[in-house]
Amino acid sequence: MDIYQADKTLVCTSRVPGLKQTSLRILRNKMGNKVVATDPVGVREGNWVFTASGSAARFAAGDFEVLTDLTIAGIIDNWDESAG
Amino acid sequence: MKICKVVKPLVSTNRIPEMEHKHLQVVLDGSSQAVAVDAVGAKPGDWVICVGSSAAREAAGSKGYPSDLTIVGIIDHWDDK
Repeated sequence: MDIYQADKTLVCTSRVPGLKQTSLRILRNKMGNKVVATDPVGVREGNWVFTASGSAARFAAGDFEVLTDLTIAGIIDNWDESAG
Repeated sequence: MKICKVVKPLVSTNRIPEMEHKHLQVVLDGSSQAVAVDAVGAKPGDWVICVGSSAAREAAGSKGYPSDLTIVGIIDHWDDK
């Protein structure tokens, strides 16, 4: 599972039915490149989170039919960025 | 499967219920950090074997467990050349 920092939410009204009504969140990793993940936890901007990717992401989303390959699995209690 | 070094436990109180109460470890794969479900009880400083993809789910508990990286073994002797 990878470690990211949560950025803003992503609003995407026209989407495939497979994405259902999942809330999407932009995540940024140490190198600064941004990815989109589904967010069953409900994180705030700036939280450090860990994610599940691949088919595990569909299980993590709580409903296997959600067509995601990256899901936020939890918020890390404390994380110092410099330890990277 | 990858050889990684265990850095420290990862504490996450606010996480998805599907993860249940499995221990999570921060592991170092070369120079990049990752989080792995600990199925064997490794301690910081151990060299371990981590498995990915669908095997990671089964190693962590069940076919439906949301893990994409799981520690499956502690290496007895390993020097990092």
